[in-house]
Amino acid sequence: MLRKIFRNRHGVPGLVFFVCLSVAFAPSLMAQTAGMGTLTGRVIDASGNAVANATVTATSADNGQMRSAATATNGSYTFDGLPGGSYRLKFEASGFKTLEIPSAIVKGTETAVLDEKLEAGEPITAKPTPAPQDNLPNAPSSSATAPSLSDLGLSPEQTQGNAREQALLDKRAHMLKIHQRMGLITTIPLIATVATSLNAGGRNTSTASRDLHTALGGVTGDLYFITAYYAIRAPRVPGTETRGPIRFHKAMAWIHGPGMIMTPILGIMAFDEKNKGEKVHGIASAHGPVAIVTAGAFGAALLSVSVKF
Amino acid sequence: MKKNVLMAFALLALHTLAIADSQWVLKQSTLTYHVSHPLHQTDGVSHAARGKGSCHAGECDFLIAVPVKSFDSGDSNRDLHMLQVTRGAEFPVVVVRTHLPESAATSATINADLEIQFAGQTAQYKQIPFKLVTQSGETHITGTIPATLSDFKIDPPSLLTMRVKNEIPVRVDMTWRPQ
Repeated sequence: MLRKIFRNRHGVPGLVFFVCLSVAFAPSLMAQTAGMGTLTGRVIDASGNAVANATVTATSADNGQMRSAATATNGSYTFDGLPGGSYRLKFEASGFKTLEIPSAIVKGTETAVLDEKLEAGEPITAKPTPAPQDNLPNAPSSSATAPSLSDLGLSPEQTQGNAREQALLDKRAHMLKIHQRMGLITTIPLIATVATSLNAGGRNTSTASRDLHTALGGVTGDLYFITAYYAIRAPRVPGTETRGPIRFHKAMAWIHGPGMIMTPILGIMAFDEKNKGEKVHGIASAHGPVAIVTAGAFGAALLSVSVKF
Repeated sequence: MKKNVLMAFALLALHTLAIADSQWVLKQSTLTYHVSHPLHQTDGVSHAARGKGSCHAGECDFLIAVPVKSFDSGDSNRDLHMLQVTRGAEFPVVVVRTHLPESAATSATINADLEIQFAGQTAQYKQIPFKLVTQSGETHITGTIPATLSDFKIDPPSLLTMRVKNEIPVRVDMTWRPQ
């Protein structure tokens, strides 16, 4: 059956299959075309021994986006998929002085190597700079009687920051931002595919109309799976219970996800039957209803996070 | 010997009086931030603030701390996004400090100067008006802090490529009682 479809004279369903198969490689292709680079290196101490579990933080000079990585047992660290540009790097490890590199250049699609040596000593902790004190009539004082955070029963664990958790949140937000944008972009060919279905499935339809519908469907599927990739691969934050409209958004994925797989398969079957001059029959006749339900679920998922019900 | 013991007690009592005349503790609180987006109006609420006031020689220092994670907007995805943009994992607690005369507790309104540490930044707000109602020994304080995202160098988060407004007023509703 598949061989038959690939060999049909128009070649468009074959193209759709190719497009669907290429989805798996699309994110990496996209990353390359967007100029993503890699920053890697090794952290050692004064004697040349590897420093494991050091936290390396890369902050983009362009947009302040921050990513963190921990060094492995051999002291190595890697940041994959970094947009090209200048980064400020911070190396922190217990028992070592914090080292800051003001600027490291990452070029798109290239691997930058930055090996660093840490000096033994107490880490220098960066603290927020207090705003300049004005002579306010009742400005907050720093008198000896002023209560402290420990007076409130807050333990140091509750008040200390967690760079790794922040890095996880940053990565999650970055991926979901792409997910959101790709979802919006996908809507355009999705609507166009639904609109062209009117001329593709009727009794007196032309091959050109079907080809256009199929091509748009292929583009929609491709973009959809890129969108889905960024949602599925976004890291989960441990201990977070899903609440609110996002639950509906996720539930809809169980409808439009399988629908986006079924619709092109049924579409190819329907396309093949049509090209043979047959009336669309059997399971292929479910292409239209499945597509409508899929598009509806996709739209509902989009609305659920856009409009407050 | 007895004289020495008495003297020691007297000095200790004086020292205690000198350190703190009275203390206040935050009994309950509701802090609500408001975010405006072209498609959404969102409120995030926290009841997890802890606070203490320490008064000495007619002057009081107050400290309030709220875990950033404790704000609930009714949507876990939005809360995680807010936590990310406000760098809540790196700076997990919002700390508010103010200094007031002890006599302020009997006023109907006060204007407080606040120092707020949030998202790794410190901002000062001058003469923020609060209403006070004292009943059954407890003081109920309400007011709104006119906070903005830029005060704390926070990039406004966006939804569907539209950014939220810079203003994030925080409504304060607290009940304090003397300890």
